[in-house]
Amino acid sequence: MRIRTVALLLTLFGMFVVLSLIYAQNAPEASEKGKEVYENSCAHCHGTEGRGDGAAAENLLPKPRDFTRGLYKIRSTETGELPTDQDLFDIITEGMPGSSMPGWETALSANDRWEVVAYIKTFYDGFKEAETPPKQINLSGKVPYSEQSVETGKALYTELGCIECHGNIGRGDGTSAPDLTDEWGFQSWPANLTQGWNFRGGADTEDIFKRFIGGLAGSAMPAFEGDSFPGFGLTAEESSRMIELDNKDEMTEVEEEESAQLYEKYDAAVDIALNLAEGTELSAEEKQIYDDAMKVVYEKSWHLANYVKSLMPEKRPEPAIGNNVLRSQYIQGELPEMDNTAWETLEARYFPLVGQIVIEPRQFNPTIDAVNVKSYYNDTEVAFLFMWDDRTHTTDETDDETGKTLEDALAVQFPVKVPQGPTAPKPYFLWGGRLPVYLWHWKASAPEQVTELTAKGINNAEVQEAQGELQVQGTYTDGQYKLWVKRALKTDDKKDLQLDPGVFVPIAFSAWDGANGDVDTKRVMTSWYTFVLEPVPSSKRFIYPPLIALLSVGFLFGLRAFVQRRNSEEA
Amino acid sequence: MKSYLLASLTVLLACCYIGTAFAADSDAGEMEMLVFPEKYKAMAVSNGGTISGVVKFEGDMPEKKALEITKDEKVCGADEKFDESLVVGEGNALKNTIVYLIDISAGKDFDKDAKVEIDQKGCKFTPHIQIVPVGERLTMLNSDKIMHNVHIFSKINKPVNKAQPKARRKMPLKAVQKAEGPVEVKCDVHGWMSAWISYVPHPYFAVTNEKGEFMLEDVPAGEYKLGYWHEACGTNSKAPVVVTVEAGGTITQDFTLKLK
Ligand SMILES: [Cu+2]
Repeated sequence: MRIRTVALLLTLFGMFVVLSLIYAQNAPEASEKGKEVYENSCAHCHGTEGRGDGAAAENLLPKPRDFTRGLYKIRSTETGELPTDQDLFDIITEGMPGSSMPGWETALSANDRWEVVAYIKTFYDGFKEAETPPKQINLSGKVPYSEQSVETGKALYTELGCIECHGNIGRGDGTSAPDLTDEWGFQSWPANLTQGWNFRGGADTEDIFKRFIGGLAGSAMPAFEGDSFPGFGLTAEESSRMIELDNKDEMTEVEEEESAQLYEKYDAAVDIALNLAEGTELSAEEKQIYDDAMKVVYEKSWHLANYVKSLMPEKRPEPAIGNNVLRSQYIQGELPEMDNTAWETLEARYFPLVGQIVIEPRQFNPTIDAVNVKSYYNDTEVAFLFMWDDRTHTTDETDDETGKTLEDALAVQFPVKVPQGPTAPKPYFLWGGRLPVYLWHWKASAPEQVTELTAKGINNAEVQEAQGELQVQGTYTDGQYKLWVKRALKTDDKKDLQLDPGVFVPIAFSAWDGANGDVDTKRVMTSWYTFVLEPVPSSKRFIYPPLIALLSVGFLFGLRAFVQRRNSEEA
Repeated sequence: MKSYLLASLTVLLACCYIGTAFAADSDAGEMEMLVFPEKYKAMAVSNGGTISGVVKFEGDMPEKKALEITKDEKVCGADEKFDESLVVGEGNALKNTIVYLIDISAGKDFDKDAKVEIDQKGCKFTPHIQIVPVGERLTMLNSDKIMHNVHIFSKINKPVNKAQPKARRKMPLKAVQKAEGPVEVKCDVHGWMSAWISYVPHPYFAVTNEKGEFMLEDVPAGEYKLGYWHEACGTNSKAPVVVTVEAGGTITQDFTLKLK
């Protein structure tokens, strides 16, 4: 009897735990506490009245959210719906990668975060007025990741027009990309789909699916809700047939009839979807048509999400430190040209770039994520391949404010003199100071050349009088720059860097995205990283030691024999 | 990972610090809106009156501003396109002015057969100004066979941002329940595309044609405030013209508008 009671209690307790896990939490009533936490932690950017106009807002892009409109990008809910409390809580907890919104998981207790959720909801009356909870996106029909699903998704990516903004292979370089603004008129770049770590709402397949179906409210990203899909209400075969017929220059009478029938079915399903959205009760038959239509649409959306997922690496690459320092690989003979497949076998090293905010003018809203680098060397030369994503190819634009010419560019920075040993001082990372730096400055307007500079400070760079013989090639394709540079290991110019295998050389980068207003000190950059010509894992290493050992042994034997002989002679 | 967090936190703190030096300026000019009656009752109107007139532009004949077509040139750039925020025709006729009754509380019903559509053709919305009855669906047509997205910047109703892929020739939008307007319609794919819609509770709205003409028919006899709205010239909501309509009569009321 007693055991049964305990068992029952345990079961009930278990159910309670499970239920509380299943049911996402709701925020408490708004309180003074929430106001206090908000004003201490959030108001500086989001403003005391939640208008996204805090003192720090001026410099931020994306701009801090204006809470008074009820428009939230990252939601688990359908388009036009408000976010759930859990959505808001998650954003506060995890922050928004790629923006200035940090995660507050450690800085604020869960309790405080819930209080803030309750408080920010008071900025928009729609939360109070809502009679029903927001409609959540149904995630139940997830299509597992497979090559075939990715293929299907890829076709949809083109058919649905994702390319227009996100570009051919997703680098956010579509032809509409430069002109996009958000609801408040601020520039709004489309996501680079190859950099999942910068996705504001996470890059799990489910996250991608939700963003796609629900849209990003307040941004240019539209919702692809059910009836946006061409051929809504048709089977997958029927809708491809409909599109196929549409694309014909001329249809036969039979085809016209067929097309008209497909359109009739399509229009009828759209009508049902709108009736439902407008609150009209559906008949059982209509409900069936709607459910079937949504099933097809959701399945397509999962394929698309799988495709987008396929565009990015599993996680953000590790920065080029520790075991990941940039190691130039030795090869014999000619170094590979830019298009040589030899580059593909090398793994790139990843150098994350951050906005330069030390010296005015600063860059608070960087658009270039990182530069990826590979390198080979031989007995006399070294070759580098630098790659970085930039949504726009800018070679000659004028800055409205300063009148300066804006263009995309990259600078690779080395010390003039390699510090001897790890503790020896390096030049100041911002283009040197007392200790000078040696720079390769490349500009998109002259892709076949780099200018050698010597600098003693970010505003104190000089073009070297003697320009060395560097071979350079630069290209821009599908939202990515590739720059190939080849130089001799040793030069006659004292202001140049001289390279020796096995010596660790500091290296740093600056990059400019002209379309983002980057010019002069307004740029993205790295601090010092390390580069080394990986010492030759050469035959020498395997021949000399045994040889020396052999010689030593031989010498010892010889010595012994000599001594023995002398001894015997003396005797 | 930690290093990214640290870096972003540093950046954030730095911006916050520097940001204090600037004062945020958020009072952007609010768009002037139409004024609607609190309640409206549809009824049969017999022997109503007519209000007609011409809207003219006062000021130098504005220069036609050609729109810069930055993509899909084959479809969008087939003919030259001009900014439609201020279209002045012969004799200073001002096109695209909404002229309407501000305070009518009972009158005729909407023409149920009228099509409420905006076409996207040659990457241009036609018409530039559309009146949408509350509770009716606005249908977006896509004659271009390229992708557009319909982005309606409503504030009272829920904003809409819905993709209209190339194969989607006709996209009816969910009817809205609240009067609001004008709100801008944009296409993010083609940033120059712009139109204005007004969700209205009664049918006494007219939009001026190329000749600047408008006409409101079947107006029950009575005294009304007559309002106008123009994208570049603003409204007279604060001081509307008062007109008296007689049964079966026709009155003329012209307007002359200046840039706001
Ligand atoms: Cu468009």
